[in-house]
Amino acid sequence: MNHPEYSKVQSLLAQQGYISDPSIVMSVFLGMQLGKPILIEGPAGVGKTEIAKVMAHALDTDLIRLQCYEGLDATQALYEWNYQRQLLYIKMEEQGNKSLEEKEDTIFGDSFLLKRPLLQAITHHKAPVLLIDEIDRADEEFESFLLEVLSDWQISIPEIGTVKATHIPHVVVTSNRVRELSEALRRRCLYLYVDYPSYEKELAIVKSKVPQIDTQLADQICRFMQELRQMKLEKVPGVAETLDWATALSSLHFDHLEKELVEQTLGVILKDWGDMRHTQTSLSELLEKVNVVSKME
Amino acid sequence: MDLITRKTELSANIVSFCRFLREKGFVLGPREEADALEALAVTPVKDPDRFRQTLRAVLPRSLKQQELFDEFYPVYWKNLEQAVDSKVKELGEENQKPGNKPKKQQAPSLQQIKDWLYGKPGEEEAEIATYSAHEALGFKDFSSFTEDDLEEVKKLIILVAKKLAAQFNRRFRTVPSSANFDLRKTMRKNMRRGGEIVDMYFRQRKKRKVELVLLCDVSKSMDLYSRFLVQFIYAFQTIYKRIDTFVFSTSLHHIKDQMQERTFYKALDNLSETVPGWSGGTQIGSSLAEFVKDHGYRCLNKQSVVLIMSDGWDTGEPEVLQEAMRQIHKKASRVIWLNPLAGNPNFEASAMGMASAMPYIDIFASAHNIDSLRKALGKSF
Repeated sequence: MNHPEYSKVQSLLAQQGYISDPSIVMSVFLGMQLGKPILIEGPAGVGKTEIAKVMAHALDTDLIRLQCYEGLDATQALYEWNYQRQLLYIKMEEQGNKSLEEKEDTIFGDSFLLKRPLLQAITHHKAPVLLIDEIDRADEEFESFLLEVLSDWQISIPEIGTVKATHIPHVVVTSNRVRELSEALRRRCLYLYVDYPSYEKELAIVKSKVPQIDTQLADQICRFMQELRQMKLEKVPGVAETLDWATALSSLHFDHLEKELVEQTLGVILKDWGDMRHTQTSLSELLEKVNVVSKME
Repeated sequence: MDLITRKTELSANIVSFCRFLREKGFVLGPREEADALEALAVTPVKDPDRFRQTLRAVLPRSLKQQELFDEFYPVYWKNLEQAVDSKVKELGEENQKPGNKPKKQQAPSLQQIKDWLYGKPGEEEAEIATYSAHEALGFKDFSSFTEDDLEEVKKLIILVAKKLAAQFNRRFRTVPSSANFDLRKTMRKNMRRGGEIVDMYFRQRKKRKVELVLLCDVSKSMDLYSRFLVQFIYAFQTIYKRIDTFVFSTSLHHIKDQMQERTFYKALDNLSETVPGWSGGTQIGSSLAEFVKDHGYRCLNKQSVVLIMSDGWDTGEPEVLQEAMRQIHKKASRVIWLNPLAGNPNFEASAMGMASAMPYIDIFASAHNIDSLRKALGKSF
């Protein structure tokens, strides 16, 4: 496995259009170098998942994603036998003259095995990026099971035997902090906290992702979002919402924010009725803050 | 007195820095130390900032630890630098700096660092000893509540919440996959294929859904405890989802939504904005009656456990309280009353409105400090 240099990681991330900061670069770099999973925490919509995607792009490898949810169990993460296909095969072979052993070998072969993300990741032809998304949604039992896989890099399938990893994947684990993760998992990972971006960083992200946007509009959008996040909101909008909004407004060919326009498109950034109402009542004030600052420049 | 000697090797410095962090509650073993050194070995360290970032990426394991790291990192290296400069540091001189004492927040941690740096653990131990002696005398109840205690309470609640969540029903439900194969359903569903088994069905025991209702007294007489109570409610609500929360003094307030905040302080803010009559008089009877009338149909059923936290000082009619309690007891599966005063040897239930409520309480327990709370909750769930 080749380990890219620190500066190379930096430029790779930049090439993929991912605006990062030193702590992100350092974590990604060390994650690759030390072969450790990176545990990324932070509010929704700040680009946690994006880091994994960008890593996969940068390393020119595949991204294998395991989306966690409540009740996710080992079989759904590892492998399942394609039971229906096995049955059909036995049915077809009923008239054949294969011995029992041969039949058994076939139906417990690779083609009847449904690989789920974890098995996929360790049997991949090239070290992939394994994204374990929203681990905090899965149960604690699953977390401990995951620990076992992450430390040994092997999975035992009773009918076949133990499958050892051909390449150790680059692992990215994300969490929204819905539930505290276990100390054991934390200790195995490098910790990275991604917060809402600063105004400068957000502006850079908007400009890189929505290149056709008007400079003044981008500036106003970012200032507005910064102010908006200061308010007491149920669901604080993330970068994803900023980008949606920027794309929407720029494709409507606007070059600056207006009160009416913001009112009409508020649904792009706010996803909660209470938040909408709350924001609408203080919209003039918010816009004033944004405009005043931009006039002063 | 030990002198701090300048370590010329990087590894020795890292190890002692890890030791320092360990004192601060970081869980760092030899593996982490090795990781840190390995990380430094592969990182082209050009400037001190890069050095800090490397350690920052490897050593902290949570947001809280990251913040602590940011706080302690400069302190440690500065102390080390000073020690290097003078080679020998006098103990007394640092302590007498004028700025040290008034800063309550900073002083203990700085003091600890120095104690550690100068190898003087004695004082710290003495402090802990007096502290625990204090508690043994029973003075320290929830009225003096610290952040550490909150963590302790959270752990306690997690245990209770787990128990609540893990109760299984006797009935089954069909699930996509589980260890239990549902033979009967599989046979029945596959009859249409002439008994050829193609689709498989699994079943699992249904989870029993215990609904928890918290009713907390926040009147004047509970003032000493209400800070803790609110923290208790908040912690419980973040951990256990099937819960409904109310506070009452002279009237009842539904505060479930206000407590649904990411941070405790935000929740507190919300509360102070929306709940009038905080630390007011107590009308337990009418408040509970209001609860039965307005929320009883929704909150009270045979799956619900009602947890009331109050001292029982009622200024209203005892009959009202009695009737309300009777209703609650009839409709809920269990009624638990936690009374902070019950830990007092002079406590007598008859002296207050408590007496009229007593017959309708399944579990009555004291909850004046963490230990009693642990016992009470252990008994209740």
